[in-house]
Amino acid sequence: MSFLSIERITKGYDGIRALDGVSLGLEKGSIKGLIGPNGAGKSTLFHLISGVEKPDSGKIYFKEREITSMKSHEISALGIGRTFQTLQIWGNMTVVENIMAGMNRRLKGGLFSCGLWLPWIRRSEKEALKEAKEILDSLGLLGKWESMASQLPYGKQKLLELGRALAMKPDLLLLDEPASGLTSTEMQQLSKQISQIGQEGVTIFIVEHHMGMVMEIADEIAVLHNGKLIAEGTPDGVRRNPEVIEAYLKSKKTDA
Amino acid sequence: MVETKKNEFRKRDFFYLVPLWLISLMAPDPYLYHKKGFKKKDLFYLGVLVLAPLIWSDSHFHHLMVLAGIYATLALGLSLFMGYAGQISLGHAAFFGIGAYTTAILTTRYAIPTFLAFWASALSAAVIASLIGRSILKLKGYFLALATLGFGEIFLVIVRESTDFTGGVIGIFGIPWFSVMGFSFDTYLRQYYLTWGVLMGLFIFSKNLVRSKVGRSLLAVAASEDAASSVGINVPWIKLESFVLGAAFSGLAGSLFACVMSTANPEAFSLGFTVLIVMMVILGGMGNLYGPIAGAILLTWVMDILSKYQEYSLPIYGVILILLLVFFPDGIGTRFNVRLIYLIGYWAKKKKRDEGKL
Repeated sequence: MSFLSIERITKGYDGIRALDGVSLGLEKGSIKGLIGPNGAGKSTLFHLISGVEKPDSGKIYFKEREITSMKSHEISALGIGRTFQTLQIWGNMTVVENIMAGMNRRLKGGLFSCGLWLPWIRRSEKEALKEAKEILDSLGLLGKWESMASQLPYGKQKLLELGRALAMKPDLLLLDEPASGLTSTEMQQLSKQISQIGQEGVTIFIVEHHMGMVMEIADEIAVLHNGKLIAEGTPDGVRRNPEVIEAYLKSKKTDA
Repeated sequence: MVETKKNEFRKRDFFYLVPLWLISLMAPDPYLYHKKGFKKKDLFYLGVLVLAPLIWSDSHFHHLMVLAGIYATLALGLSLFMGYAGQISLGHAAFFGIGAYTTAILTTRYAIPTFLAFWASALSAAVIASLIGRSILKLKGYFLALATLGFGEIFLVIVRESTDFTGGVIGIFGIPWFSVMGFSFDTYLRQYYLTWGVLMGLFIFSKNLVRSKVGRSLLAVAASEDAASSVGINVPWIKLESFVLGAAFSGLAGSLFACVMSTANPEAFSLGFTVLIVMMVILGGMGNLYGPIAGAILLTWVMDILSKYQEYSLPIYGVILILLLVFFPDGIGTRFNVRLIYLIGYWAKKKKRDEGKL
């Protein structure tokens, strides 16, 4: 069984089939891209994997455990980190606290040990701060570590969201349109970051509209269209697939 | 010629700056103060609180500060739930009442020492909070406000109607003074140190909480629940924890209130009281632990002054609240300090600006 395997997943909203019997597999350490026209069901698939929503039928396995019916926080505790299509950083905290809150599942301590500020809490807080600063340094955000996250420019907030997902040391990282709204220089920086994260051994599943970027960083690409998986394979193979070309052309026509 | 004179520092600016500087000593720093550990400023607050009743040894002032301390304890617990976790509760007066009645019933009927009843009050409030919290915390926003409001009303009805148990509308009288190992807190001055001592303990606990993992989880839940659960934060659980903790604080406050007033009756825990506590949290500044304490002192003081004007007191009170909310929407402490920092910065850079360097 693959590292993450999705088996015949179906999900409908009020009569619309967002996903229709989709099966997919991710190998450990690979980078997989998921593309498709608007409304193809890409984000729905991510919501199902991360447990924000539940599928109507089908099963999802991660590390050979079934996670289909698990709660969102239990799934992330197994090691699935994610970013959101619409930016979801915590604007009411400082930049460094955003990262430290991302470490939540690795930090010990309950209500009373934190409230009494016991020695091991003091120690783990210190270590967490140090580690958070290292993560910020690698993202180039260290200069702003004490400012409020809401005061960062959009591109940096996107990076911060990525940093927060990294802070939980995920085994699988789900990136939902990480490059949307970024300038081309920011995009280049981001794809460099993502490739580097992939080289460190994190499995990455990425939804993206910028073809150039996905083709560049992904080892394998899957294409969704109208809730169905229409192609899967290497970037070059997918690019030449007539069905994919047709799906994209059709959706372009209807868009226009 | 006139313009240069306008830019010069005038001696009377001093009269604006000195009071502002004094306020800045009292007021918390904007935004980030709660992120850090304890500071010298906290020592300053502690000194003021310890010395104030000795310098101003007026028993009316002492009594007022005892009440302010009790309200502040309640507001502190509510601020964890409202200001940090971003939820709303209009039922905390009920937990205050549960605390007060637990102490009242245990001490008058079963002659249990007040010190034990004090802890039992926190426990009973926390247990009831965890029972109702499980179901109502699934609600959000207005719905949560209404559900907690409903809980508060139900509590009042139960207290009024179960005459045998709670004394009905008349309530319970003759609750003994708070005492620990034979030392009785029977004067206003002693009660002052008791309530503010308890408040300090709870404040230190809360402050440690908000600068640790738990505090970050609360803030995360307030900003985005999806993002919070995406990093492994158990959202329903952390909400319940903060709700129960707030209820336990309220229970302790209620117990102290019963001991200080030596009576417990349903009038004290009505909807008006809930609104008062919520106002203390909002006026003091949300997402800040110093705010609710400042708000509690301010509102207790305002109510006391207005009580001289009898029938006009409520309208005046309303107008004051509206004005405060219009001019200090982020709380009293925060706004003053932002203004002050701006003023000092403006003044400090004036020379450079005049020389054309800025």
